[in-house]
Amino acid sequence: MAVAVAATLGLVSPGARSQPRQAPAQQPPPQQPSEISTIISGEASAAPRFAVPDFIASSTDAETVALAKTIGQVLWDDLNFERDFALIPRDIYSTIPAAKSFDDVPFDRWRELNADGVIVGTVQKTGTGVRVDVRLFNVRSRQSAFGKEYSGSAANPRLYAHTISDEIHQQQRALRGVARTKLTFASDRDGERMRGTVESRGVKEIYIADYDGENQRRVTTSRSLNITPTWSPDARSIAYTSYQKGAPNIYISNIYQGTRDDLTKDIAQSFLPSWSPDGTRLCFMSTRDGNAELYVVNRDGSNPRRLTNHPGADVSPTWSPSGTQIAFTSDRTGTPQIYLIGADGLGLQKVTSEAYADRPTWSPAPYNEIAFTARTGPGNDIKVIDLATRQLRQLTFGEGTNESPSWSPNGRHLAFMSTRSGKSQVFTMARDGRNLKQVTQGGNNSQPDWSK
Amino acid sequence: MPKVQLAADAAPGRGGRPRRVASSLAEINVVPLVDVMLVLLIIFMITAPMIQRGIDVNLPVARRAAQISGERVFVSVPLAYRQNHIVYLGDEPIRVEILRERIRQQMERRSDKQVYLRGDGGVQLQELMDITDRLKDAGVETVGIVAKMPGER
Repeated sequence: MAVAVAATLGLVSPGARSQPRQAPAQQPPPQQPSEISTIISGEASAAPRFAVPDFIASSTDAETVALAKTIGQVLWDDLNFERDFALIPRDIYSTIPAAKSFDDVPFDRWRELNADGVIVGTVQKTGTGVRVDVRLFNVRSRQSAFGKEYSGSAANPRLYAHTISDEIHQQQRALRGVARTKLTFASDRDGERMRGTVESRGVKEIYIADYDGENQRRVTTSRSLNITPTWSPDARSIAYTSYQKGAPNIYISNIYQGTRDDLTKDIAQSFLPSWSPDGTRLCFMSTRDGNAELYVVNRDGSNPRRLTNHPGADVSPTWSPSGTQIAFTSDRTGTPQIYLIGADGLGLQKVTSEAYADRPTWSPAPYNEIAFTARTGPGNDIKVIDLATRQLRQLTFGEGTNESPSWSPNGRHLAFMSTRSGKSQVFTMARDGRNLKQVTQGGNNSQPDWSK
Repeated sequence: MPKVQLAADAAPGRGGRPRRVASSLAEINVVPLVDVMLVLLIIFMITAPMIQRGIDVNLPVARRAAQISGERVFVSVPLAYRQNHIVYLGDEPIRVEILRERIRQQMERRSDKQVYLRGDGGVQLQELMDITDRLKDAGVETVGIVAKMPGER
């Protein structure tokens, strides 16, 4: 998998490469200002305004030029996704002379555009791949606020941009970016037919994609119904429900090893796996005792333990970030509603009072919220309930049906399925419902899950 | 009601029956109505031009007046624009190529998407239209073209 090719990171102290050796001698006082002002701030509490021009290709061959262009563009998109920086639109950059190196950045021109920071990078072809060198300059002080050098394969240039974006978010805003996270979802896009069935039904397979919908890949090839994929916390395995042996059972695909584990070993029908936050256990729904109840097992399928016991159906579990509680859907009071239960099976409480509520998903810290699917009319919409205040907010408003929300690992975004553009497709949006973005295109794509 | 009695008094001349109180009123006396209408007409004729021109109003002096006008966005196009393509955003000279981005940044935080364009009389209309296009591209909803009254300095 190309995603396995991680860039090797070489640390370079900010600005060290661009300054001549004798610089300290010429400036007797220590350069303390440049050390202190590595955080770039905007004017009067506004978000810092950044410009990300195309990276500088060190040679003129088409491949290096294309790499440099791609990295700059993807980095712009990645930084813009979190909305923590105000990004100057790219189309205005053509009016500014492109820098040839770190030493001739036209700071006056960027200042004229009100930029607070400008990110300049160089791309150089090496014997084994590429070397990407990046600086974030403070446009006012002309000092480097962030500098790093990466080298590795040229197969996936987007990964360099994603890495730079996450590190700049971390260093400048102490924010965990999502640029290197991934989505998994079920799709029928390949139009295959199920083997061995009389009516030759359509199949669904599990796919993965980058958070922005790029690099989509298929994970399963069982030509059966494979649904409800969910990432393990280390993002190296995907647990999902599959009908490949007839009855639905839960399997775990270790995507980097190419192996598959059978979690429920064909005992009755099992659905909807959910990983504990430490990745050592899974919770799922099973009918092994005759009724739909929740069970917790270890990662290797050992030590199964029944969590719920009620004649109603208990389905769709999701763990709290601390691992001490599990939210799930139950129809024990008539219509499906969201409930909480301790991981030890104690402390049951009802959370929602909707007409119909299903598919809860617990947000990561610092938010303590549960997003779920609620029936609001002919279709469904995504709603979020704050567990501390029990305040409810609605994020989608009747455009098609909107289901299966999943939080990004920093809690600032949600992936979900919507039929607003025709077929079911995976969308992402900010936690306030804005910045909607369609991630998938072909076929029907549903049940997204965002890697942790 | 003296008018009614007057009309009733006139009635015997036609009907030949004096003191017939129930006789109908032949016609309305429009003279007072015309008087009133004429007076109103004259008043409006005199005041209408004054309302339109708005002259002779001594504006009160207020220290905050300058601040309110300062919140407005003025783009000035001096005559030299025809050579150097530099416009002034407020009093900051900027190249016309980046006008759109700078205005976009300003409009992001404003509720009234208005810009006042102060073009030199010697700048061609085509050049002002070009700048207006850039402003509209930047999200400006209303572009006001600032002019001055004859004799005003």
